[in-house]
Amino acid sequence: MDPWWIDAIKGFLIINIVLVCFAYTTWLERKLLSRMQGRFGPNRAGPFGLLQPIADLVKLVRKEAFMPMSASAKLYIAAPILSTFTALLAFAVIPFGAGWHIWKWDVSGVVVDAPISLVLIFALGSLGVYGFIIGGWASDSKYSTLGAMRTCAQLVSYEVSLALAVLGVVIQAGTLNLSEIVHQQGTQFWFFGPQFVGLVVFFLAGTAETSRPPFDLPEGDTEIVAGYHTEYSGMRWGLFQMSEYVHMITLSALGVTLFFGGWHGPWAPLGPLWFFLKLLVVVFLFIWMRASLPRLRYDQLMRFGWKILLPVATLNAFITALVVVAVN
Amino acid sequence: MSLLAVTAVGNVLVWAVWVLAVATCIGTGLLVVTRTNPFHSALALIGNLGSLAVLYLLLSSEFVAAAQVLVYAGAVMVMFLFVIAYLGGKADAPWIGGRTWHQAASAVAGLAILVNVLVAIGMAAGGSLKHEAQLDQVFGSPSEIGRLFLTDHLLAFEVTSIVLLIAAVGGVVLGSHARRSEAEDAAALAAGEQV
Repeated sequence: MDPWWIDAIKGFLIINIVLVCFAYTTWLERKLLSRMQGRFGPNRAGPFGLLQPIADLVKLVRKEAFMPMSASAKLYIAAPILSTFTALLAFAVIPFGAGWHIWKWDVSGVVVDAPISLVLIFALGSLGVYGFIIGGWASDSKYSTLGAMRTCAQLVSYEVSLALAVLGVVIQAGTLNLSEIVHQQGTQFWFFGPQFVGLVVFFLAGTAETSRPPFDLPEGDTEIVAGYHTEYSGMRWGLFQMSEYVHMITLSALGVTLFFGGWHGPWAPLGPLWFFLKLLVVVFLFIWMRASLPRLRYDQLMRFGWKILLPVATLNAFITALVVVAVN
Repeated sequence: MSLLAVTAVGNVLVWAVWVLAVATCIGTGLLVVTRTNPFHSALALIGNLGSLAVLYLLLSSEFVAAAQVLVYAGAVMVMFLFVIAYLGGKADAPWIGGRTWHQAASAVAGLAILVNVLVAIGMAAGGSLKHEAQLDQVFGSPSEIGRLFLTDHLLAFEVTSIVLLIAAVGGVVLGSHARRSEAEDAAALAAGEQV
């Protein structure tokens, strides 16, 4: 058990690292999209445009924070705060290292090591939806409300498949603790092998859950302007963007933890560095999908979620349970 | 710091959290029934369910607390907000009164809860609610809850699953009925145009 101040330092560090990761994910996304589309992308601020996220931040903070006359002020302001808060909180239970012995303290490689950390992530995710719904509703604009309702329907539909996809790993590992799941992958083959179907469902449902293309209907700009954040500007809009990117990073980290052995690596025991490299690959996949796939139609999205993804995820969990019982 | 002092600090913290959770629970409960805007009422209900989760946490059932947030404060209340936003929410007049039997039924339900609370207070004052038990490590853990569901409370568990299945089938039936009447309307419209 760490003393409380070690937890505080770890929490502070992780939040700031995640925020830097968010800033440079936006840079990476713009750069990669541009290269895939035969453009250069941001290349004015600093070498390779590396200072672009900082320039963006300065611009967003200085921009006028507009609010519609008929908006419900308190909820309108609270919504982006709520969604960023829940998004950042979820990273607390993700293990990033095996733990170290520094001077006379044992420091574990996770901020909060809860026995039910996986359920905690899903609980936070289900609260995070409220930021989007409240923001869309409080703006008192047709486009925002439509976007909020799309978000609502999509996230609720795909949350089920996401949870069921994870269930296979939970049954096989026999625990809901993420550190324990990673420890088990140190002694046996990583779970992406036996749980390959689970991984595919997890990745697809996760893309929908984070509203990434091709599942970005909540903010389909050809149909509903920008969805729930149509009426937001300045850093309030920035907070919504932040929560979306942090959701993506957290989900990628969860995927790495559950299916790709977390901080374990094939050769050198580099710990957090392996974790970071794997995270980068998954984030790259998300960006690649955005560059190559067109957006789904809304009925296609619902049909895919309920009629294909959910049955496959259920079958996977069922078969895993049968196999585990048969083997033991 | 001595062990005694640590326990004392811990106890004060537990009390502080308990008072905060209970105050939030009662406050948001009042907001649910006093707000005129249904969207605000639903938000207050989320706060109410969330503070209940904190109370479960204090009773050392972490899993039940997380499930409460995940299922009730999360999934169920999203549906409430969805429907309220779908029906307009802010523009709607608040629900006032209703039919006489509605009012009578709510009065009876309120009275029943009041009696319940009074009996509980009376029993607590009489000392008949004082059971002390040592909680072991597995108490409230997911595996222990799963074991209880599939052994001691199997019948209740299965009956619940049937009730949920009926609700799901009902949803599908209602949905397909709506689609059929839409198709009939379209056919009638086409026939009308031909005439």
